Amino acid sequence: MKVQSNNFIPAAQIAIHDVDLQTAVSFGTNSGFTKRQAAMFAGGEAHGQALRQQAAAIKRHALNHLADLLEQAEANMQANGIQVLWAIDGEEANQHVLEIARRHDVKSVVKSKSMVTEETGLNHALEAADIAVLETDLGEYIVQIGGETPSHIVAPIVHKTKESIRDLLVAKANMPPTDDPGEMTQFARQLLRERFLAADMGVSGGNFIVAETGSIGLVSNEGNARLTTSLPRVHVALVGIEKIVPTVADYALLTQVLPRSATGQAMTVYTSLINGPRQPGETDGPEHVYVILVDNGRSHIYTTAYAEALACIRCGACLNGCPVYQVTGGHAYGWVYPGPIGAVITPLLTGLENASPLPYASSLCGMCKEVCPVDIDIPRMLLDLRHDLVEMGQGGAVWNVGMRAWAWGNSAPGRFVFGGKVAARAANWLKPKSLPGPLGGWTKYRNTPKFAPKSFRQLWQEREQERKGVR
Amino acid sequence: MRTSPGEGVRIAMSSREAILGKLRERGEVPFPAAVPVEAHRHVVPLADTSGAGLYGRFLQEASQAACIIHEAASGEAAIDAILQIVGEDTTISAWNPEYIPLPGLAESLAQANIRLVGEDASVRVGLTGVHAALAATGSVVLLSGNGRPRAASLLPPIHIAVVSATQIVPDLESWWTAQKEAGLDQLRQHSNVVVITGPSRTADIAMQLVMGMHGPRELHLVLLTGPA
Repeated sequence: MKVQSNNFIPAAQIAIHDVDLQTAVSFGTNSGFTKRQAAMFAGGEAHGQALRQQAAAIKRHALNHLADLLEQAEANMQANGIQVLWAIDGEEANQHVLEIARRHDVKSVVKSKSMVTEETGLNHALEAADIAVLETDLGEYIVQIGGETPSHIVAPIVHKTKESIRDLLVAKANMPPTDDPGEMTQFARQLLRERFLAADMGVSGGNFIVAETGSIGLVSNEGNARLTTSLPRVHVALVGIEKIVPTVADYALLTQVLPRSATGQAMTVYTSLINGPRQPGETDGPEHVYVILVDNGRSHIYTTAYAEALACIRCGACLNGCPVYQVTGGHAYGWVYPGPIGAVITPLLTGLENASPLPYASSLCGMCKEVCPVDIDIPRMLLDLRHDLVEMGQGGAVWNVGMRAWAWGNSAPGRFVFGGKVAARAANWLKPKSLPGPLGGWTKYRNTPKFAPKSFRQLWQEREQERKGVR
Repeated sequence: MRTSPGEGVRIAMSSREAILGKLRERGEVPFPAAVPVEAHRHVVPLADTSGAGLYGRFLQEASQAACIIHEAASGEAAIDAILQIVGEDTTISAWNPEYIPLPGLAESLAQANIRLVGEDASVRVGLTGVHAALAATGSVVLLSGNGRPRAASLLPPIHIAVVSATQIVPDLESWWTAQKEAGLDQLRQHSNVVVITGPSRTADIAMQLVMGMHGPRELHLVLLTGPA
């Protein structure tokens, strides 16, 4: 997927004036935020916090041993009859999928929700090879027929109102007009079911890989992930290398913390663990199962001070809680992953120079860390990325000269006092309505403050002198 | 395959080696303070783990998850409940009755002229047993295998799962602990393990909850409380 993150500010400005988007995103994020809060702390505040700490420890421990766990998972998956492939980047991942499709004479593909295939642009690669590909998660299907991209990690069409979804289904899928979400859902169920039954290959993501059993963990409420991994004769799962967890006990905890954080459910409707292709005697299930372990920049992140970002389990809680995401929606972020975690991993995966506004797309209020089920310190990483941007000279020439002048002026008491006096005199004499240049942003919505007649230093010195006088 | 630059010599290095190599390039671990979690917390703390406590909690949680519950004090009552849901239908998608803990079920269905098929996308009702039921979340665990097609719990709009009260365990964590004690190799024989909590649903359209998106829109739990 093309990176358009440097467009963040104009894109956000457009989003802020989009009434439909504002209505839909504000409702969706508030709903998600409230439900998470209730579910995460259903067993009490202390218990909920302890669960977060355990989830955080599990993921970090797994990352500490990532290379070994990947090898263990590979061996166990192979023992289960799963074919394991490795992809260093998105292009190689897509090549693997195309090669598998050729090997099994695949004409049509059904997909369940996968963010990593958004990274690799798999749908385009399949279409270019004349293979029909259909998204089957209801939200992703609507995204696909609308020619859009998902705007939220777990709620892909959180930016759309019921009315705009209706119009799209009527225009693109010949749905008989209805305003009832139940009827829309039934319509989509029938349409997609036919395609499921005819598909040759199912493509899924993977929420977890359990190293000790060589299994793929998937969560789904609609059931499309089950259909995708049960009906077609070939199943391919594309999974980021950071999704490995060591044991089934780790998995059991994480697979319950994930839905609590994402949708406020104790458990998703279908919590699946796939151990391999159909066994002798089974009448359904895929004959071939492939897992593609996708790096696409993750091993690079692993070697940096941002390795913590790899602990993310993609629940979307930080999006729902973020005051910036709440008003911009997801598309303004310009790539696959929006919101606070997107503001961290987009620059890391696509290059800081391609996403330089994102580290600033935050008020650093800290909500993202507070709601994160694995306690990722997103504000710390956003600050460090800002630091990296300045080191790269991305601060802008005026900014850099200005900061240097500021530093010079403030690094000696004489210069500081003199500068203050000059500024106060000039300001009180000129009485500007707005400040010049980039400082104008401050006074656009505020009155220019008057300088006090005496500076704090002056007042302090006078006070000290008075005290001495009294003594 | 990636190649590393050389003087006209292409030294092939697999992506596998490249990825593992890059990860191992980082000498020290990224999170020195992180230790493995030994005593995993139960996500839902259960106060009462007696048989009656688990039963009550399972009923409560399964209802909350929008399951329709039919308590049956005897095997006959359970079979009656199943026949009532099946109604006039003459074909259902089902597991082999030997995996459903109701003796006489196969005969009763045959008497009612109900034909059992494995996977058929056109039938209205699917009938399965379960491997276990989880009190903490009102879930049922289904393992795939010979005579246990996934389709029966997935394709029809109505899924009936027969659960014996003796199959109720506290939660997912304790079920996995038991599997581990029994040997995970045994569990890996089952190509698919699914924990089902209520009927299929979506809230993608304006956050409004709708049942039956891709899987069943009704999940009936026939809960056998007495002897089969």
